[in-house]
Parts: sequence; structure tokens; C-alpha cells
Amino acid sequence: MPEYSKPQIADLLAGRLSPEELQVLQRQEKDPGREALVREIEQERLGWAEPILVCLQQHLYVVENPDGTRTVRCDCGHDFGDYRRNWKDNALVYERDPSDGMIYRGPRAADPDWNILREFYCPGCAAQLDVEVVPRGYPFVFNFLPDIDAGEENDNGR
Amino acid sequence: MSDTPLRQQLLELEARIAAQGCYLTELPARESDPIRYELLNSKLVETVTSAHEVARLVSASPMTRELGEVIFGLYTPEGDAVVLSRGLLIHIHTMSRMIKWMIRNGYEESPGFRHGDYYFNNDPYIGGAHCPDQMIVTPIIHEGRLVGWAGGLTHTPETGSSDPGGFVPFARSRFEEGLFLPCVKIAENDEIKRDLEVLVERNVRSPLYWLTDNRAKMTGVRMIREQVRELIAEFGIEYFTQASREYIEDTYRAARRRVQAVLAPGRYREVSWRGSVMPGEERLLHGPVEVTVRRDGHLDIDFTGLSPAGRHPFQGTLPTLEGLVMNVVIQHLFYDLKHNEGVLMATRLKVPEGSAGNPPSFIYPTALWGITYGAGLATGQALSRAYYARGYREEVHATSALSTGYTAGGTDHYGRPFGAHNFEFAAAGLFATGVMDGLDTAGVEFNPEGEMGDAEIWEQILPPVYLAREIHVDGGGFGKYRGGNGVFSVYMVAGSDDLEIGSFGSAPIFSAPGLMGGYPAGALYMWVGSRTNLKQLIESGAALPAGEGDNPERPAFVDAIEADWELIRGANRLARPVENFDVFTAMSGDGGGFGDPIERDPAAVAADLANGLTTRWTAEHVYGVMLGEDGAVDEEGTRQLRAWIRRERLERALPAAEYRARVREELLTQPLPAPVSRMYRDVMGFSPEWRKHFLEFWNLPDDWEPREAEPGRPPSEPIRLSTRRPVEVNHA
Repeated sequence: MPEYSKPQIADLLAGRLSPEELQVLQRQEKDPGREALVREIEQERLGWAEPILVCLQQHLYVVENPDGTRTVRCDCGHDFGDYRRNWKDNALVYERDPSDGMIYRGPRAADPDWNILREFYCPGCAAQLDVEVVPRGYPFVFNFLPDIDAGEENDNGR
Repeated sequence: MSDTPLRQQLLELEARIAAQGCYLTELPARESDPIRYELLNSKLVETVTSAHEVARLVSASPMTRELGEVIFGLYTPEGDAVVLSRGLLIHIHTMSRMIKWMIRNGYEESPGFRHGDYYFNNDPYIGGAHCPDQMIVTPIIHEGRLVGWAGGLTHTPETGSSDPGGFVPFARSRFEEGLFLPCVKIAENDEIKRDLEVLVERNVRSPLYWLTDNRAKMTGVRMIREQVRELIAEFGIEYFTQASREYIEDTYRAARRRVQAVLAPGRYREVSWRGSVMPGEERLLHGPVEVTVRRDGHLDIDFTGLSPAGRHPFQGTLPTLEGLVMNVVIQHLFYDLKHNEGVLMATRLKVPEGSAGNPPSFIYPTALWGITYGAGLATGQALSRAYYARGYREEVHATSALSTGYTAGGTDHYGRPFGAHNFEFAAAGLFATGVMDGLDTAGVEFNPEGEMGDAEIWEQILPPVYLAREIHVDGGGFGKYRGGNGVFSVYMVAGSDDLEIGSFGSAPIFSAPGLMGGYPAGALYMWVGSRTNLKQLIESGAALPAGEGDNPERPAFVDAIEADWELIRGANRLARPVENFDVFTAMSGDGGGFGDPIERDPAAVAADLANGLTTRWTAEHVYGVMLGEDGAVDEEGTRQLRAWIRRERLERALPAAEYRARVREELLTQPLPAPVSRMYRDVMGFSPEWRKHFLEFWNLPDDWEPREAEPGRPPSEPIRLSTRRPVEVNHA
């Protein structure tokens, strides 16, 4: 089983690895310690006292609070509440007509009668966390509900 | 129907798998001598790989020769895949479906399975994705007993469909999609039946491709058959039979171990879209997927909520959806395992009967298998999130391009009747990944090693000539890592007085979504220019346009060529006559983006601009990057612009609760656009579970029904624009 150093994985997370270096990572068997290592790197980078349980997606983490609750937190510190509920319900939402000429020009925009874009921003730092491609009136998509305790079981099993 | 030995064998196997929950309970061949076990496997892989390579040299079809739209495999007597070549991965399972269908339908009794028999199938309800996907299998007989099957598949560029080229965007039924030969014996004693070749010759515009593809597949499967017989002589029939089955169980176990090792357990949801553009019945098609990564290493993949099937070709058969899921998990998860039926055993699919991924009867057309492709790719998004949570960012990716291309038929530049499609879209822009940009003009998800083919080869087989073949500037979805840009080509019609050009694509939607804050790739479109002044431009020696230029609202070729232009959103065009010197475009499709675009490294934006892959407009408007006149990044200007973009976001957006209240009010009081209203009506009428989900999310009354607004401009109706100079009227 390959093992990677902390600086190597920090470079991976920061997008600093070259395509050739990435190819090595893709071709090798997966290093079983990766998840813990990534959490460790992120924990140090963010300096949070509360442990990160899951790296949910860009900017968002599930953390365990001192009172035992598990919430989704942005790396700016903004809290989105219980991880079992869709974090999007506590985000800022902007419904974009794709033909507004701000992102797509001419025929590259979808027809708003078919698709709109729903941009979700963090209320704390304004990071764009998700862009949903949906028709008007579509429910928010709850992308990921982690089975956290199963993940811990896997960790212990190693 | 009396039970034949093979049918009984198949039913017993299925019952055994259901009872024991696996393919085999023990692996004695593997455990007693792993070296011998792997040796036979590598020899079998070598066998199917040789067949793949040789077949490419036998065919005259550019799809097979140039583009590698081919795959070969070895199957158990009951039709489970044992080993596969590289190539068109989605079909490893569809050939398995064909073999099982023949066994279930009494073929063993009649017409019978004898040494030297070759069966052909292109019926996607039996196995395959659409009429152009054509497979041939032959039984492997040892001492009078059927001990396996060799199979091969190619994609032919012409099927005898109502529109030339096999991709028919306006087909209302299967009977417009071309010639289907469902499990037909096309050869006996290794000899092709001449009468069946005549059948093809009289039903297809360019029979050469179909018929030489048949020879290619027969060559390949015969090679496999003979080499397997040699291997049986070397290893013994008992060992061969046992090991073949163990490879499947081995993969099933390895696949579950892989899921446990690299994916975060949990429940994932994604949604994809396609659309039917049938005039008067335009509607969006819904492709949701829920993936549950189980602790025991299974992937439960649930497509509840899929739109019901309809009279349009933007749907797929169940074998197609199964094949697509297999294609996704092999490429993104099980890439280094032994590829066989065991892969599919680790995934458990739920596809509602009657849906656009499992139509109720074979009459429903499937030429473009749209929403099954979308839903299959959405499965890949779910896997990406599961990889992300385990820290394997190098495996995270946004969505693949939806490909589009042109079809042509009539009389070719050699004076022969012909029909075909251009397949350069196999080099679409790839998705952005979690750690780097998507590759430009690189490939497609359905064939991981497809390529665009040489322009000269396309000009040999199709009358239009290239005016430009360029990287589609800003095609890929914007993001911290951008999606790959595809191919954009401008063609001029030449050398034929009898030519019609069509195109297949999607509805005017975003087909390749981004991930985690990235934007989708742009929508598909096609320009067609008629009554052009290209003849005069060429005769005068003037420079010809070399592409779309910096502004897609007003492409450079539209400005440079005087013509009556049509812009077709979604790029679906029923084949219609064109004249020499007419112009049209095709694009391969582009990949989705990853992450927030204003987090993109400004130096990467500057490099893209220097390489002609983005524009100043996009650098500023989308990436918030200010560039000096020399193209260098203005650091302070960029910082200020990005801060302004963040402030703008906070100002224009609504808190989710407020947004939800507003949309709820709109749903109660206002009509929805026709394609959307029809989609909600279809899906809610078809799936009570999804209806409940929708009503609960918006807190709507039980009797809520979508109201339909007056339809807008249908995508089949082009936007017209003329750049022809006013004609001078001679009053003399």
C-alpha cells in the first residue's frame, strides 16, 4: 500500500500537483490513511477546536460540537446547522436566468423555459457552494447525507 | 416451451445466485494455484484484446478503424461476461443480455447453437443501446457441449433510418430508426449467408460499413473461439469452466472491497436533464438518481422519479442504463479490477418499469438514449462526492459532455448513394476534476478511448469539407477548475448535388452540470448558412473564417460570410437538403466545471487567454480576473473585482427560507413554462413517491397540479438572421 507525506497531500488539496504527479496517485492503489490525513491537514489549516468528521464538499465540513451536535460548517466559520438536514436550507440562493448575459453568451445559455441556474452562496463569505441546473420550481437537491458512524467503523476496522 | 439444457442451466444459476447471494461460494482454482489462475486470465484478456485490434483493421467503417467504437468479450455458457477487451465499455453487459435472451427464447432448440453459427443483434431491447450498436456472438463448442460464447460489438454510422446516419432526433417510433435484426443467425459453418447481406444492401444507404463491420466482428469472435479452444486443450475443460466462473466471483468480491476502501458510506442524490424536442410536444425529461453506498460494499442505485417513456428518441432501454452504470463504475471505481459480470453484481439497480430508462414496449424509440445517459453520468457525480469525503480528490470530477454531431445522406462525392454521421464528438471536452482542469478535446464517457478521427478521413467519407476545426473557446463549464473545451467545426458543403444534412443534440438545456460550485458547460447549438457568397470568397482568394472567434453571440464566420443563417438551439435538425457552398457547424460538447470560478488561479486564466482557450470577457465577467493589455494579471484589480463580485452575491441572493416562500407562491399562482409543466405532470403522474417529495418540499396542497403557460419558441424552430447584402435591382 502506498503512503503519501502530509506535504504531498496538502499539495493535492491545493491543486499544486502536476498532471504527471496526479497520474501516479491515480494509478497506485489507494492509501488507506488518506481520509484521516486530509482531515488532519484541514483541521490544522482551519485551526478549529471541534473535530472535523467529514469533508463534505468544497468549503463545507461536518464538525462535532462540544454539546455533541454535528453541524455543517463553512471554512469561514458560518454554521449551516444539523448535517442531517440539507445545508442549502440555510444558504443564500440566487436564481439565475441563464440568458441574463452575465455568464453565458448567445446560444450557450440554456433557454430559461427549460433550465434555470440556482446558485447557493455561503452567507458568511459569499463562496459559491453549488450551482444547481434545474427547471423552475424544482426542490433543492440534498446531495449528500453521510453515514458518519459507518465511516468510523471502517476507520476502526483498519 | 420445453426446457432446453442451457435454459435450465441459466435458471438454476439465477436461483443459486439469489439463494447464496454471490456467484460462487468458494474459489478453489484461485486458492490452490493463484499463478495458474492469473495466467489463464491474462491469456484470455490477451485473446479478446487481439480480436479487438485485428477487427479494427478488417472493417472499412471509420467508426471501427479510426475511432475504436468496438469491444470484444468472452462469456460463460449462460451469457455472463468473463473477460473483455478495451473499447466501448457500456456494451460488455448488453452482449450478455443478448445471449441470455436467446437462451430464454428457445434458440438452443431452434435455430440451434452449432459450431460455426454467428448470431447478430442490434435490437436495444434485447441488448445494445440503439440501432447502430451491432453485436455478433458465436458459441464455443467443446466435445459437443456449449462451453462459452465469443462476442463482439461495433457502432455503425448508418442504419437505414428515416433520417440518414442512424441518429434520428425526431423519431416517434422504433420503425423510423433503421433496420433491426434481433438475434438473427447470419452465418453457418463460418460462412456468411448471402441473402442476409442482400437484406442489408437493400435497406441501408451505405451497406459497406455494416457489412465490413460484420466481417470485422466475425473475424474477432472466430479468433476468440479458436484461441479459447486452444486454451481449453492446454488447461483442461474443467479448469477453464471453473476458473471462468471464479473470475466473476473474484471481481464481485474485489468490487465490494473497493467500495468499502474508497467511498464514504452514505446517501447521495443527483439530477440530470434531457429533453424531447418533438414539435408541439416539447418537454423536459427528468433523470434523478439516489445512490446509497452501503457498509457491505454494495451500491444501491435508485432511479425512482425518472420521466415516463414517451414517443421520442431521448430515452434508453434497461440494458442501456445497466450498461451505462457499469461503464461509469468501471471507469471511475473498478478501473483496475478484472472487468466482467461481477462488476454489475456489486451494483443493485432500481429502474421503474415504464420509465424512460425501461420503456413499456419495444415500439418506443431509443436512437439518442438521452436521459439514460444523463442519469448514468449523474451516478458518477454521486461517486465523486463519496470519493471526496474519503480524501481521494484525484478521483473527483464534474459531469461529462453530452455529445452532438451532424448526419448526412444522399449522393456522395463519388456519385454513390450514402448515409453516415460524423463522429468527431468522441473527442469532447472532459469534465473538470477536483484538482485540475478538464482536458480539452479529449474524450467522452461512453467510450473512454474514443477520438475525433482525422479531418481528411471524414472528408473522404462525407462530402462536406472543413473550413475550421478548433477548440471550442470557453466551452467547458466555468469553475475553480474549468471543464474541458470540446471541438467546434465549421463545414462547407461541396462535391454533391444531392445532399441532406441533419443533426442530433439535446433540448436547449445544460447537459453537463458542474460540481461543488462549478458551472455547467454551455448549451448545444448549430449554425446553418445558406445562399452564401463562399464561392466568390474562394475565387477571390479572400481569407476564409477560421472559427467562431471571441463572441459567440456574433460568431466570426457569421460576420465573414454573407448568408441566410439559422441558429438551432439544442442542435437537433431534421435532415434537409443543402446546396454546395452552404455552411454549417457542429460541436462535440464540453465538460462541466468544478468549484467557485472566482477561486480560480488568475495565472491559469491568463494562460488560457494566451492559449486561445478563453476570452477577456469571460476572464473579467466570470472569473473576476483583470488582465493588462499585455495579458498579464493585474493583481490589485483582480482582488478588487473579486471582492465586488462577493458583495454583489450577498446583495442579490435571498435567504433560502425567503426564496422557498417566494417559489411556493409562484407555484400556487403562476403557470410554468410548457416543457417544465409537462415534465412535472408526467413525473408526478408516474411516480407517487416523487409527487409526495415535491409537494412536501414546497408544502403544497395534495391537489396541486402544474399549470402550463403558453408555449414559447420551440427549439425545432431556428432563429433566423441574414448577413446577405441587399440585392441590387436592375431597373433597366
